[in-house]
Amino acid sequence: MNIDYSQQAPVVAGRLTLAQIEELVAKPMDTKPNKKFFIALSISGSLLIIGAVFLAFSFYYGTGLWGNNQPVGWAFPIVNFVFWVGIGHAGTLISAILFLLRQKWRTGIARFAEAMTIFAVMCAGIFPVIHTGRPWLAGYLMPYPNQHGLWVNFTSPLVWDVFAVSTYFTVSFVFWYVGLIPDFATMRDRTSSKIKKTIYSVFSLGWRHSNRHWTHYEKAYMLLAGFATPLVLSVHTIVSFDFAVSILPGWHTTIFPPYFVAGAIFSGFAMVVTVLVFVRKIFDLEHIITIDHLEKMNKIILATGMMVGYAYAMEFFIAWYSGVPSEQFVFINRAFGPYAWAYWIMVSCNVIFPQLFWFKKIRRTVPFMMVIVILVNVGMWFERFVITITSTSRDFLPSSWGYYKPTIFDIGILLGSFGLFFTLVILFTKSLPVVSISEIKAVADGAQPTIHGGEHHA
Amino acid sequence: MSDFNSDNPQLSQNSELQPNYWRSFEELHNDPNVLEARHHEFKDGATDDFDPLNLSSISRRKFLALLGASAALAGTACTDYRDKGEIVPYNIKPEEITVGKPNYYASTCTACANSCGILIKTREGRPIKVDGNPDHPVNKGKICAKGQANILNLYDPERLKKPLKKTGLNFNEVSWKEVDNDVLAALTFAGSKEIAIVCNSITSPTTFKVIEDFKIKFPSTKVYSYNFFNDSVKNAAWQKTFDSGKYPLVKWNEANVILSLESDFLGVDGNKLENSRLFAEGRDVDTKTFNRLYCVDSTLTITGNNADYRLRLRPEAQFEFVMSLMNELSSKGAFNFSVNTSGYSLSGFASKYNLKKKVLDQLVNDLATNKGKAIIDAGRSLAENVHIAVNLLNEALGNSEMFRNDSAVNTFVENSSVQEIESLIQKMNSGNVAVVIHFDSNPVYHLASDFGYKDALSKVGLVVSLSERENETTHLSKYVLPINHNFESWGDAKTRTGVISLQQPVIAPLNDTRQKEAILLTWIAGKTDAFNETLYHEYLMKNWEASIYPKLNSKLDFKRFWFGALHDGIVLTNESPSVSRSINPGTTSLLSQPSSSVKGYTVVIKENYNISDGSFSHNGWMQELPHPVSKIAWDNYAAVSEKTCKDLGVKNNDVIEIKVGGRKLSLPVFMQAGTADEVIVIESGFGRTNSGTVANGVGFNSNLLLSKTNNYSPWIYSGVSISKTGDTYKLASSQEHHAFDDAKTQDLHKTRHIIQEGTVAGYLKNPDLIKEKHEGELISVYDPQPYNGLKWGMSIDLNKCTGCGDCVAACNVENNIPVVGKDQVLVSREMQWLRIDRYYSGTVDEPSVSVQPMLCQHCDQAPCENVCPVVATNHSPDGLNQMVYNRCVGTRYCSNNCPYKVRRFNFFNFRDHFRDSYQENPLLSLMHNPEVTVRSRGVMEKCTFCVQRIAEARADATYEKRTLKGSDVTTACQDSCGSNAIHFGDINDKESEFYKYRNHELGYYVLEELNIHPNVTYIAKLRNTYPEEA
Repeated sequence: MNIDYSQQAPVVAGRLTLAQIEELVAKPMDTKPNKKFFIALSISGSLLIIGAVFLAFSFYYGTGLWGNNQPVGWAFPIVNFVFWVGIGHAGTLISAILFLLRQKWRTGIARFAEAMTIFAVMCAGIFPVIHTGRPWLAGYLMPYPNQHGLWVNFTSPLVWDVFAVSTYFTVSFVFWYVGLIPDFATMRDRTSSKIKKTIYSVFSLGWRHSNRHWTHYEKAYMLLAGFATPLVLSVHTIVSFDFAVSILPGWHTTIFPPYFVAGAIFSGFAMVVTVLVFVRKIFDLEHIITIDHLEKMNKIILATGMMVGYAYAMEFFIAWYSGVPSEQFVFINRAFGPYAWAYWIMVSCNVIFPQLFWFKKIRRTVPFMMVIVILVNVGMWFERFVITITSTSRDFLPSSWGYYKPTIFDIGILLGSFGLFFTLVILFTKSLPVVSISEIKAVADGAQPTIHGGEHHA
Repeated sequence: MSDFNSDNPQLSQNSELQPNYWRSFEELHNDPNVLEARHHEFKDGATDDFDPLNLSSISRRKFLALLGASAALAGTACTDYRDKGEIVPYNIKPEEITVGKPNYYASTCTACANSCGILIKTREGRPIKVDGNPDHPVNKGKICAKGQANILNLYDPERLKKPLKKTGLNFNEVSWKEVDNDVLAALTFAGSKEIAIVCNSITSPTTFKVIEDFKIKFPSTKVYSYNFFNDSVKNAAWQKTFDSGKYPLVKWNEANVILSLESDFLGVDGNKLENSRLFAEGRDVDTKTFNRLYCVDSTLTITGNNADYRLRLRPEAQFEFVMSLMNELSSKGAFNFSVNTSGYSLSGFASKYNLKKKVLDQLVNDLATNKGKAIIDAGRSLAENVHIAVNLLNEALGNSEMFRNDSAVNTFVENSSVQEIESLIQKMNSGNVAVVIHFDSNPVYHLASDFGYKDALSKVGLVVSLSERENETTHLSKYVLPINHNFESWGDAKTRTGVISLQQPVIAPLNDTRQKEAILLTWIAGKTDAFNETLYHEYLMKNWEASIYPKLNSKLDFKRFWFGALHDGIVLTNESPSVSRSINPGTTSLLSQPSSSVKGYTVVIKENYNISDGSFSHNGWMQELPHPVSKIAWDNYAAVSEKTCKDLGVKNNDVIEIKVGGRKLSLPVFMQAGTADEVIVIESGFGRTNSGTVANGVGFNSNLLLSKTNNYSPWIYSGVSISKTGDTYKLASSQEHHAFDDAKTQDLHKTRHIIQEGTVAGYLKNPDLIKEKHEGELISVYDPQPYNGLKWGMSIDLNKCTGCGDCVAACNVENNIPVVGKDQVLVSREMQWLRIDRYYSGTVDEPSVSVQPMLCQHCDQAPCENVCPVVATNHSPDGLNQMVYNRCVGTRYCSNNCPYKVRRFNFFNFRDHFRDSYQENPLLSLMHNPEVTVRSRGVMEKCTFCVQRIAEARADATYEKRTLKGSDVTTACQDSCGSNAIHFGDINDKESEFYKYRNHELGYYVLEELNIHPNVTYIAKLRNTYPEEA
């Protein structure tokens, strides 16, 4: 094989000019939504409404409509919460960590991934509130001064969650918004509609593409990226503490923080690939979101999938090594007990199928990767299901064991969260540039001076 | 003084008339401004007078005030003010009532024929809790689950509120006067036609007298009495053996060896409270005396759960077993007895029924070496010849020493024989019965269908039912007369030689009901206006004055005696029990029955622990109390062995059809470990119709299988055919059922040290056998919180706990626990704060059973506390794990992190959720303990160690200026425990009785290795097995 590793494949394919890039990205916002858009929106909207209706029932009658029972206090809502927080990891990872690591290929997908992060965290944020018995009192979880002298319990991981998730959401949102400012300005300059112009003007905060602006912007972006990076690691670490800090066998595990973070990146990337495959097709962005980008993400999926697989194995090893019988029982029970079906779905989707990404052909073929990333999404949802439910359903006293079965309300609310997520994604594709125009221009061919005088060497 | 006055002329003027009060020096010194200001209430400018002519010049301040006031008035006048009902304070303090302080009244429980003495706790005039009367010699301050749950019967919203008359298919409310007139007319014109009174057992001498009076007034009256479960066979056998008397009471506490044959004396046979107490006295870790209990029965019962050795045997083989035992004992030379036992051999019997020979040998040895200190007790459902054989064997072994001199009297009216009831029905069918009065009985449900009672009723001129609530019988009556509840009634009860217990009402009738005796008295008087509220009360007093008081030789006059007796609730008469008995020489000939081999399926109808024969099936608390053995709630089922399951090709929840003669019943199968093969055990009291919201349609009516004729006993039928229907029916259980042969789950309770057990012999050899398993002091990441003052703790003696569940019922009543219904039990959302865990070990056919009451352990390092985000659960300085309901958001994290899973979550507003908000009825809210919050939806709750009782005791101690002691408080579960297994008190009080149990060498904590320092000590169960097995 005679491959020249000294040359990088171009980040933007197809030798697009800067104007073409701008044109391409701005097209969805300049054109009226077509039929396909409305079909997509009505599907996701219907899911959202189903979720809302089931949620309304749950508020009216109580959490008893769900399958939760006496040993299994946490079920679908918490599974969904962890799942969505996990999805929300890819965005910040791509935009912040890869930015700091100077990974130029991130530019094509960063904006979209960040938006997905924000939407996923919004979906996630709903669940801890609605899963409580009295959601109208959820404000008690915030430390606020009151004449009762009541304070929150800082030893409870649920309070840590409140801070971790809200900080993560705020920082991700600010980071995303700051990145959007130059694009808002571009859109403002392009549009002739008076209303749009007003809106874009407001959000672009008076951006004039001046040198000073760019200098400040680059600094701010760099700082925010630095600020967001530890959050990528902290959020899921703290979410994992919900389990790890308890004394329940199967939850009380020190491996959880890294294992959860790896799992979150794994599922986040899988979700980004799932959505991007459609977006690049529908909005003709194949040159900007190239197959190279997808392949790189698939490589990360393969790597994190193996980390997750290692964690699964290590849990078993530690259970055996610890010599704690109830700990050993939990893991044997996971694999061979009443929830074995869920466990093996998890293992096969998360560990076995991603191994196919060792084949370059599969990594670079859209239908193949589509199947695998969807399986990864399913597998990661089941991972949270297995952790949350198998541990509580059979814990210390055999007398209190109980099998958990979800009800139609559990499933409805889960569908509703997907409805909310995709509704937001669909609205986003039509209202904001799904790819950062300014950043893509910066990495386009010939945009930067090189030692080769800007010549292309492919 | 005069100088001072002369300086102040104005003051000196008035000084003679009024004293001088001054508010400021200015006033004292007569500042004219101040004097002027005294005449105006408000300072100038602070207000202005309302003058319509001057309105235009109204101040800005005034204008705003008027504006605000009118807005406020308009606003409040238009709000939809919700009338919360009339709240009337006690303007005049009622006698006896201090607001916030409970009163206790002694009375008698009439929930079953045992008629225990009770203390009824009332608050502001409402009965809210029942405890046993400590002065009562039988139940000694304890009361069973039914007695506890009886409070729900009082407030049951579906109690009949007015007399009903059936016209066509409907019942209409009518006045008492109309009823009395119609019934009186029918009674008067009955002539020679019979007036039949159908009742259950009558334990009250005065009620019996009312019925006697009724018979005098209406001479054609006949009284028929039945009890669905009764000792008639047992007593008849006793009569045949000894020519006199009844089966006496047993000194369970003195027996070294107890052999129970199909007898559930710790469950439903006899007075379980007394039996449990006496039995538990014989299993005491302090005195280190232990009886040995052998059980030979067809299915697991509470008694079987507590057996040291248990063998399963179908009931028809019991006779052969006793004869073989007799043969073995006499061949060993244990006694000389003229019973011909040839043809019986114990070893042959053992191999025939596949019984453990070793256990039988030990049994023979125990009976032979403990002559006079052993007792053999046969269950009431066994055939007469078994009882006769047992009587003879007990006599031969000298075990009559174990019988008490006093005996139980459960009725003044002997149960009617089958022939008597048949003749009644014949007369009814031939139109010779003018009136049938159902005196608080339900024969339509209880009598075997082949009597044809239901059809015969339609041929009776007038059917009158006296009942608290609708049932199958009231449905077929012309008149349904609502009667007073236990707690609204006067009465007396004699259940023991020399003991009469008194019943007094603690609340005026809630509805337009009458005491059942007063209804008869009105008819005896022959006038509708003869009734008044005190009719029966006066009758009762007169009867006592005339027939009971004179015999007592009391030094008090009757009035004082009467009030004293009411206060005590109990009167001891110096009745001397009959002692002598001698064996009827002809008895042995009754036993000359050839041994026959029994084959085929047999059905056993057994009394349900909670709802009995159906008398409590409308009571949600009792329906939801899990079965002590199977842990199934809200249903009955066909309990069969694993082998029979396989033979029939069925598994749990499969519906089978059982056919006996022409009678059929379909019900689901439940594989009950320890059941004898080919035996189907079905419990009674279910499958009710026309009996109210709670009872209707729950379970399956086992009475459909009954027949008036039987070849064994009224409750056991052989020759049963069984077929699979192919349907399934879900049974709700409070505990998961695990396969016995699953290596993953087998014996987890032992390997995890949840249940720690030893043997008596092992303990005597090594008293530290439990202690040495302790892990020692573990290191904690938290600094231990010092508890130097009073700190609450509990100990539960598993040697004494029989697992009956009375404590669960007591906790339900004390702590306002809602009923959740079968659908919620199916998804494990029971709300009981205290549960009885039941674990099996060993084989599925011969399981060894361990029971363990499980409640909040109030851990020092409670794992629930540090995960609650809002500190809704926290620790008190006296060591209680507390729940702050108002603060609880309902994250359920505490429940997840609780290793004992004793926390209960209100997934719904269960009072609203159950049976279309049946429990939301305002009447039921009267039942609630006002000291315990009724929890709302979305809130976590759990055992509080009865914190309301602690608070009350602390308030009393403070008031009396003494320090609170651990012994000042008892918990509701402790109060109800018949065998005194539960102790509660101050962990740090070294002087207390509790300290001994808390620090007992057999004590252990469940899940000690978690190092969370629980405050409930379990005292390990010792099994009294043979020393060689230890």
